[in-house]
Amino acid sequence: MKESYGVRLPGLELDDLVGKLIVLEGTDGVGRSTQIRLLKEWLEQQGHAVLDTGLTRSGLVGKGIKRAKEGHTLGRITLTLFYATDFADRLENEIVPALRAGFVVLTDRYIYSLMARSMVRGLDSVWVRNIHRFAPKPDAVFYLRISVDELIPRAVFTRGFDYWESGMDLYSAEDMYDSFRKYQAALLQQFDQLAEEFSFDVIDARPEPRVIFEQLKAGIDRILTPPVGRAALAIPSGAPETGEEVAVEAAIEERRKRA
Amino acid sequence: MKRYGDHRIPGRLFVVEGIDGSGKSTQLMLLHQWLKAEGYGVVFSEWNSSPLVKDTTKRGKKKQLLTPATFSLIHATDFADRTERNIIPLLKAGAVVLCDRYIYTAFARDASRGMDAEWIRELYAFAVRPTVAFYFRVPLEVAMKRISDARVGFKFYEAGMDLGLSDDPDESFRLFQGRILEEYDKMIPEFGLTVIDATLPIETQQQEMRLMVLAKLTQAKQLRVAP
Repeated sequence: MKESYGVRLPGLELDDLVGKLIVLEGTDGVGRSTQIRLLKEWLEQQGHAVLDTGLTRSGLVGKGIKRAKEGHTLGRITLTLFYATDFADRLENEIVPALRAGFVVLTDRYIYSLMARSMVRGLDSVWVRNIHRFAPKPDAVFYLRISVDELIPRAVFTRGFDYWESGMDLYSAEDMYDSFRKYQAALLQQFDQLAEEFSFDVIDARPEPRVIFEQLKAGIDRILTPPVGRAALAIPSGAPETGEEVAVEAAIEERRKRA
Repeated sequence: MKRYGDHRIPGRLFVVEGIDGSGKSTQLMLLHQWLKAEGYGVVFSEWNSSPLVKDTTKRGKKKQLLTPATFSLIHATDFADRTERNIIPLLKAGAVVLCDRYIYTAFARDASRGMDAEWIRELYAFAVRPTVAFYFRVPLEVAMKRISDARVGFKFYEAGMDLGLSDDPDESFRLFQGRILEEYDKMIPEFGLTVIDATLPIETQQQEMRLMVLAKLTQAKQLRVAP
C-alpha cells in the first residue's frame, strides 16, 4: 500500500504494492554505499529479497546523463529534468515492479537529493517540488547527517574532489576546495530543511560505520514484518523432541496468521 | 528561475501550434522567408532538436521504451535544453525566434496520454511566454486527408499506438488526434492562443499572420527607442 506525493502516473498503480521502500539520504561521501551494502546482506540473511538501486542507473537515460556531465554542458533546468526522467524510468521499470513482488527496495538517494541539488542551483522550490510529486512516499527515509568540517577530510583523503560534488558549475571562479565547502554547506542547509518537511529519521554519520549500521537496523526492524527466519521459528520450550517438525509447522502457521 | 510570463527580454517569440496536417509548418516557413527578406535577425528553433537529449529520445522511441511519464519528461528535458541554450540567449540578444510547436503541444499530447494536466503545466513553468502563439485550427477529417495524401503510414508514438486505442495505426491516429484536438480547444482561452482558420487558402492565412507579427515588431522597435 503506497501513495505518491500527489500526482498519479497513468498505468502505475501504487495501492497494490506490498514491499517496503527504504531510502538512504545524505550528502556526498557520508558513507551511504557502505551502509547499503551491509544492510542488503543483513536483510537477505533475514530472508528478505532486496533490490538495491541509486540515481542515474536507468536503462533509458543513464548513459545520456553520464555523457552530458562529462562535457559539463547541461543547464540547471535541463539537468533537473534529465534526472527526473531517469528517476521516472527507474521507478516504473525497477522500483515499482520490485515493490509489487514484495521486495525490500533499498535506494541510495531519492527525490530529496534531486530536489536539494536543484534548489542549491537557485531553481524555484515550488517548481522543483512539483516535478517530483509522482514519487511514492517511502516507508522510511534515513538521513545520514554530517557537518562540512567533518566531511572535508573524508573527501580529501579518499577520492579527492569531484567536479559536480564541488558545485564547480556554480562557483567556477573558485578553487575546488573553496567551492566544495560552499557547495556542500548549501546542500546541507537544503537537506536539513527537507528533513523537517518530510520527517526524515536523522542519523549522526560521525561514528564508526558499525555503530551507524546498528542504528539503521533498529530503524528498519520497526517497519518490517518479521520474516520467517531461524529465530522466528524457535521451537516452543517443552515440545517433545519427536514433535519437532510439527512444532516448526505450527510456528510457520502462527507467523502466517500474524502476518 | 524566471517563470512563464516573467521574462523581460527584447526579442520576439512567435510559435505555431496545431495537429499534424494543419499546415502550421508551411505557414511558419513562409513567415520565416518574409522576415528574412525584411531584414530581421530571425532564427528558427525546431521542436525536439536539442543535440544533447536527442539521442536518448530517439533510442526511447525506436525501442518503444517510453511510458507516458518518461515520454513527457524526456520532451520537457529536451525543451529545457533548447530554452536555456538557445531560445533565451537569442531573445536576450533581440532576435526574432520562431518555433514549430511549443509547450502547448506537450500539454495536449501528455494530457491525451493521461498525465495530470496541472502537473504538466507547472513542469513547463520555466518556458518563455510567446509574443504570439498561433493555433491553426482544422477539422480532424481535413487534416487526415492532407496527411494520407502526403505520406504512407504513421509512426508509433505519433499515432498514439502506445495507448492501445486501436491495433490499426490509422484508426489509432484518428482517435489520438481527436483527443489532442479537444485539448487544444481547451487551451485557446486558457493561454490566449491566436486562432487561425486552417481551412482558408494558404495565402489568406499567411496574410493574417504577417499582419499580426508586424504589429508586434513595430511595437518592439518603438519600445527600443523609448528611454
